[in-house]
Amino acid sequence: MEFPYGKAPFWILVLAIITGAVMVMSQKFTSAGRPDLVFVVFAARHYEAYQKLIPQFEKTHHVKVQLQQVHQRPLQTRLQSALLADTEVPDMVEIMNPFMGAFMKGPLKDVGFVDLTDRIKAEHLDERMVASRFSIWSSRGRIFALPHDVHPAALAYRRDIVEELGIDVSKIETWDDFVRIAHEKIVKDLDGDGIPDRYALDLSMPGTSFFPLLLLQRGGRYFDEQGKLTMDSEITIDMMIWYIHQSRGKDRIAFPAGEGQPFYKALSDGVVLFNFVPDWRSKVFEMDAPDLKGKMALMPLPVWEKGGRRTSTWGGTGLAITEKSKHKELAWELAKFLYLNKQDFSERFTMLNIIPPLKEAWNLPAFQVPNEYYSGQKIGQLYAELAVETPPDYVGAYYEMVDGKTREVLVDGGVYFEKHGDEGLREYITQKLKLKADYIRRVMNRNVFLQQQENVDVNTPQGVTE
Amino acid sequence: MSNLAKFHAYKKKTPYIFLAPYFCLVCIFFIYPLISAFILSFEQTNGPKSRAFVGLSNYAFVLTDPDFHKAVKNTAVYAVFSIFLQLPISLGLAMLLNTAKDKTKGFFRLIIFSPNLVGQIFVGVIFSVLFVPRYGLFNRFVQSLLYWGLENRWLENPSLVLPAIIITALWMYVGFNMIYFLAGLQSVDKSLIEAARIDGANPWQVFLNVTLPAIKPVATFVVVMSTIGSFQLFELPFALLKGEFGPSGSGLFIVSYLYSMAFRAGDLGTAAAVGWILTLMIMVISLAQIKLSGTMEEGK
Repeated sequence: MEFPYGKAPFWILVLAIITGAVMVMSQKFTSAGRPDLVFVVFAARHYEAYQKLIPQFEKTHHVKVQLQQVHQRPLQTRLQSALLADTEVPDMVEIMNPFMGAFMKGPLKDVGFVDLTDRIKAEHLDERMVASRFSIWSSRGRIFALPHDVHPAALAYRRDIVEELGIDVSKIETWDDFVRIAHEKIVKDLDGDGIPDRYALDLSMPGTSFFPLLLLQRGGRYFDEQGKLTMDSEITIDMMIWYIHQSRGKDRIAFPAGEGQPFYKALSDGVVLFNFVPDWRSKVFEMDAPDLKGKMALMPLPVWEKGGRRTSTWGGTGLAITEKSKHKELAWELAKFLYLNKQDFSERFTMLNIIPPLKEAWNLPAFQVPNEYYSGQKIGQLYAELAVETPPDYVGAYYEMVDGKTREVLVDGGVYFEKHGDEGLREYITQKLKLKADYIRRVMNRNVFLQQQENVDVNTPQGVTE
Repeated sequence: MSNLAKFHAYKKKTPYIFLAPYFCLVCIFFIYPLISAFILSFEQTNGPKSRAFVGLSNYAFVLTDPDFHKAVKNTAVYAVFSIFLQLPISLGLAMLLNTAKDKTKGFFRLIIFSPNLVGQIFVGVIFSVLFVPRYGLFNRFVQSLLYWGLENRWLENPSLVLPAIIITALWMYVGFNMIYFLAGLQSVDKSLIEAARIDGANPWQVFLNVTLPAIKPVATFVVVMSTIGSFQLFELPFALLKGEFGPSGSGLFIVSYLYSMAFRAGDLGTAAAVGWILTLMIMVISLAQIKLSGTMEEGK
């Protein structure tokens, strides 16, 4: 019997049936071989560390855990899309601050992650860990992720050049001292071409975390504890003017060193001497600029006023369990195993220089070891001392938008300053910030789900705050 | 039923059966999403559990949003430069190659076209390094040429971001458009050019009165495609600006705005409204271009 439409359509049909059958079969096999827990991380070094630890957990609990690594931005967008579309999601994910905010747009019941507040309190983790770190994983008083780190920020500097210039860093107490010394001894045109060849600080205008880092240290933030927008506060205005003075115009002390190879070239050439370095970045320096071993050192951030905070924070990772997970308790056990494992803390610090938020771990011998790269300093001890001073930050659904808008004002303010100098700068920034804040408030007010939530949950129980 | 009647029945059904797979795919991946997006554009959503009808609020918000205005302005400026800078250069290069010897033609065609072989993301990443202050190759080149620009912050200065994107796009797309023009030029009737020359026309007159009218359909096609491409610009600035939209939104385009609404703000309803506004804009502009060029009338 002949196929009525000829041989070609017949074979196309046969191929379609075969491929369809293969797809169905492979899906069946995949779902049959699904592990008990799927855990997705974005950091390569976390992936390597967990790969070593997970077999022990699998053996103890007689389960199978699948570990996957996905870049942070696609991880956030895919997870967000999957939660919105109600499709399959992993059981556990490590999320980077401030992307958590994107999941907090709706009512608490729609967050998509398990509310860990009661579990955290039951284990007394709210007391055993640095309290301020829970703020970035909280929404409306409830905690949705376990903090992996504290990421206190210090200044890493070219010790060899700084000493050669006769600078005693122990005498740099405040940012005013820092700026004065930068003008006196650091910023110089060394080859006489009219362009400075050495700057004190790495300050890029857009796209970096330096501005929020300094703002947090100074006591400002984009949202307050109650989630109220505070981006147009006086502290933000003062901070912005300081930042513009240091990074723009002929009296600037900062250079935008960028990132990757251009950054390390600037660091190696001594174009910038001081850099903001939270614990995780100190290891990145070690790995990406090994030629500077023994030439670098760390110091706390200069304070804004005597007796003030000597640190800030940059970045953060939290572990969240998805609401759709069928093994929430097992996921919580794995979370505790990975995040409270004292045996691992030493290895993690050696591998990543990252200080855990669990305070009792800071006494481990690994944190007292001198680091050759940073001229023999005990950097674990330094970061642990700073960790307790780390400021809290409150990351709401609109954090990324606020951060973007604040940076817009920062850039516009910089352009204004280069054209008009200080005259009218404060008024310009105040007006611009107010405009942007009003815009964000307008966007926030459009969110019908948050409005409904606010009307219903007026007396929401509060979680852990500083 | 006789064999002849059976044959006629098959013959009648055959086109529909052959069209069925295509029709199914279009329905699943085009018509259904289009209708869904239209419905979504009147709603606010937060996952499958939370949907709320908001009427025309999403459209009203977008049309009064200063960020959207900025995105439209940036897109329009980019589109204008695409048409009035990129296309003349492409045409010029095509004309040069059209007169070149056969042996060298292929080589130069490949060289000029090759930037298009790499993806927009790759080009964006490469140019983000070229534009670095002090160490960037582009800054060094400008400095050696003009004794200025070593510390230019191409990707940090709001007034330089759009020029940086236009320069990058120029490098990438000139060769691509040149191929179309070259194909058009090669199909121009040589006897017409010869006749014009015999009649005393100079090269400019030949170009204006013979070559240009002959390649008009190709030129219209390239202009329309470039405009549509400009309005759909996303990956190149996104990679160049490292996933951001430039200082003060200087690298914000309509599709970037749509992306930020959908995946940064998580507002799928507003993003759908932007999608529909963009579709209408592209339709209107493309139709206007075709109408102005007169191609439609000629085709009748």
